Amino acid sequence: MSAPIGIVGAGTFGQALAVAVQRGGEPLLYSRSEREESYATTDATELARCELIFISVPSPHIPKVAQLLAPHLDGRHLLVHVSRGLIGDELQTVSRHLRANTPARRVGCLAGPLSAAALAGGVPGGGIVGTQFPEVADAVRAAIEGSNLRLYDSSDTVGVEVASAMVGLLAMQAGFCLERKIPPSAMAVMMDRGLAEAARVGTLLGGDPETFHGMAGSGDLFAALGGDERAEVRLGRALANNFDLTAAGKKAGAHIEGLTIARRVAAFAERRGFEAPIAAITAKALEGSMTIEEGLEHLMKR
Amino acid sequence: MFKKLLSKPMRLPRLKPYVPAPEDPAIFWFNSERDDIIREVVRRLVERYDGDRTSLEYALNEVAFHETRRLESQRDEEAKQGLGYWRGLLRRIARMSDDAKRDALRGISQRMSRDIAGNFDPRVYQLATKVTPRLLTGVMSPSALPSAIAKIGAPAIDEMLRAEGEIDLLKRLEKIGTLVYVPTHSSNLDSMALGYSLMQNDLAPVVYGAGKNLFSNPIISFFMHNLGAYRVDRRVRARLYKQALKTYSCVMIERGYHSLFFPGGTRSRSGMLERKLKLGLAGTAVEAFSRNQVFGIDRPVWFVPTTINYGLVMEAETLIEDHLKLTGEGRYVIEDDEFSSVDRWVTFFRKLIGTQGACVIRYGRPVDPFGNPVDDEGRSVAPGGTVVDPGTYLYRHGEPVLDRRRDAAYTRELGETLLDSYERNTVLMTTQLVAHTLFRRLVRETPGIDLFGRLRFRGDIRVPREELLVDIGETRDRAAVLEKSGRVQLSRTVRGGTPEELLDRAIAVWDGYHTRCVARQVGSDIVAEDPTLLLYYQNRLVTYALDVASEPDMAAAKEISLLGVQL
Repeated sequence: MSAPIGIVGAGTFGQALAVAVQRGGEPLLYSRSEREESYATTDATELARCELIFISVPSPHIPKVAQLLAPHLDGRHLLVHVSRGLIGDELQTVSRHLRANTPARRVGCLAGPLSAAALAGGVPGGGIVGTQFPEVADAVRAAIEGSNLRLYDSSDTVGVEVASAMVGLLAMQAGFCLERKIPPSAMAVMMDRGLAEAARVGTLLGGDPETFHGMAGSGDLFAALGGDERAEVRLGRALANNFDLTAAGKKAGAHIEGLTIARRVAAFAERRGFEAPIAAITAKALEGSMTIEEGLEHLMKR
Repeated sequence: MFKKLLSKPMRLPRLKPYVPAPEDPAIFWFNSERDDIIREVVRRLVERYDGDRTSLEYALNEVAFHETRRLESQRDEEAKQGLGYWRGLLRRIARMSDDAKRDALRGISQRMSRDIAGNFDPRVYQLATKVTPRLLTGVMSPSALPSAIAKIGAPAIDEMLRAEGEIDLLKRLEKIGTLVYVPTHSSNLDSMALGYSLMQNDLAPVVYGAGKNLFSNPIISFFMHNLGAYRVDRRVRARLYKQALKTYSCVMIERGYHSLFFPGGTRSRSGMLERKLKLGLAGTAVEAFSRNQVFGIDRPVWFVPTTINYGLVMEAETLIEDHLKLTGEGRYVIEDDEFSSVDRWVTFFRKLIGTQGACVIRYGRPVDPFGNPVDDEGRSVAPGGTVVDPGTYLYRHGEPVLDRRRDAAYTRELGETLLDSYERNTVLMTTQLVAHTLFRRLVRETPGIDLFGRLRFRGDIRVPREELLVDIGETRDRAAVLEKSGRVQLSRTVRGGTPEELLDRAIAVWDGYHTRCVARQVGSDIVAEDPTLLLYYQNRLVTYALDVASEPDMAAAKEISLLGVQL
């Protein structure tokens, strides 16, 4: 019998992963609280039996999870995360954090326009695995790919991770624009410049600008604009309806990485001396020192 | 005639063969294994093209094409002998049968491997350990000879070269695994300095690929030939040759020969610390470890990140000039630099005789092929402090497997680990610190001018000596703080000398070796005479520029820190 596929975190995405894995293999779903599924566990030592482990927790929890997993891992384990976030003020990517804080070296991320629904098998969809290690992409495919789910891969892990995080930010703006009926042309300008900005951040962190025009960048953004109503879009819509940040966050449901990332990207850009106007005005809008309309006007006038 | 003699390997006559003792390192058996190693290299090269007719034909075409082109432009004895063969092959390939192609491949692989394979003569090694230091001291400074011989065990050269870092650990590790030294590269002297340092510290000798151009100096050639160096001919561009080199290196490491590569690929032209590595040969060590594991041989491979730090760099002038060339690419192989000139050698060593710690070699903490540092027992310690079995990194579906692409990814990540270790193990030398302080002054006094503009300020910038001394003192104090936090190392003089001592020593070391004056004192001022050489020496501090600057120098430091990104 082959090893079970580990999943850390039982949020919407983690559960969908478990369903996808169940189609052809045996999932092992780790969460802190007891769950009723037969494959759920609250014992992290059990994860040592797995070869492939998905990590499906929001990026602020990654350091804790890395600490929790480290004693149970060795060189055998392949770690793949699905967080749409970057860690700390230096914007460390999640895979770099995992690499630097656990024995695992073969790490990657699963990103792109992948929805929980596509994973669970209801609707067709696709995504991308960012990893330097071909066997990680192979393992992910073997674990969850199905007739309805197509997975691409890229060796530019950093690019995929940064793209994924920055698209989260853009999706929030897209939600706002859609709700406020901002003209499509203005919205397109903002999205396009937003991707270019994302590519600048990504390049500085060691990624390849091309990646941002692929599945992890524009591919993912198309899905957000196409109406996948992901949490970030819902947050943007809520903000457009003048909910304050906490209320909007609650309305959107899941944890939103975009809330702090705008501020951190803007500060990072300033320290490194490059332009990131979209992150900067988003940060200002979120902290309330500028309305989003003022921000848009500011962007248009630049 | 004399030249031709030199290009032939010089060997000692086989009168009384040396019988290696059991505790001798693997290299002492090299000569008896040599043919077997060559056979294995050829076997693997041929196997690579087994059953793939298209790529076999392509490989033959490629090697014939490149060799013909190279020899046509070379027009020497080698060309006269070889050109006919390659031209003939080029004509025949299309008509050759598969068997004939394979035979041709085997023949070419054999010739290449023989050309690459080195030689190790334990007698020469022993001669080298006992005699070279005194001999070198004598050659470089004849007046010191009698006293050097009188002072048993402390010849001047031992004072020039200082080793620090994980030496005791290396002594333990070299007995249980294979060490791969991966030092920074700034001079052609590096391999000799490192080889000598290993000897000085009773560490086992290493094999390494030396550029064929290094063999042109007869004395060096003799030692290289007999101390296990293998020959790398950088003029040969064919892919097959590169594969032969890598395979040779892989087989050697698999068999437990401690090795040496310069991951920088070529000497640092700018004087900066390596920022990008060429990891082809380092990759062979990762592959060697995987192969052994898959075949059940549990011999660890450890990389030893090492920094080689000079207060005075023999080829500084040529290197920085090459770095600054605006038109076209820098040269990958420089054949006509200070290294090939005898009088530069003599001046260089005369200059350095008696300078304590003119070269500091620092051995960093060894890491396994997956970037995990090893503890005192040679166990890999993963982040978080857990001990891991490095063999597990090769597992897939529960067993170790071979996978080239995986190993390539591991090698790339290893590169990051090495760069990080270089930065922490760099030893800042007096000349570098003084050059940095003076160059920063130059930048501060010339706002809004680009680097090339600044380099034209020859002798135009004067700094009152007293002011500069304060700067040097402050810069050193800040560097000392960095050292405390483990981000860099300082040489003894930098750590303990007064600012006066630092400044005077730097000027004294430069003076008389470099053909151009770097800096000098005029009245009560210090004049920056040669910004280009100052740039070269100060470049070692580019990564630390922001940390060692005080407030008035911050703007200049920012510009300097960007040098590493721009050029």
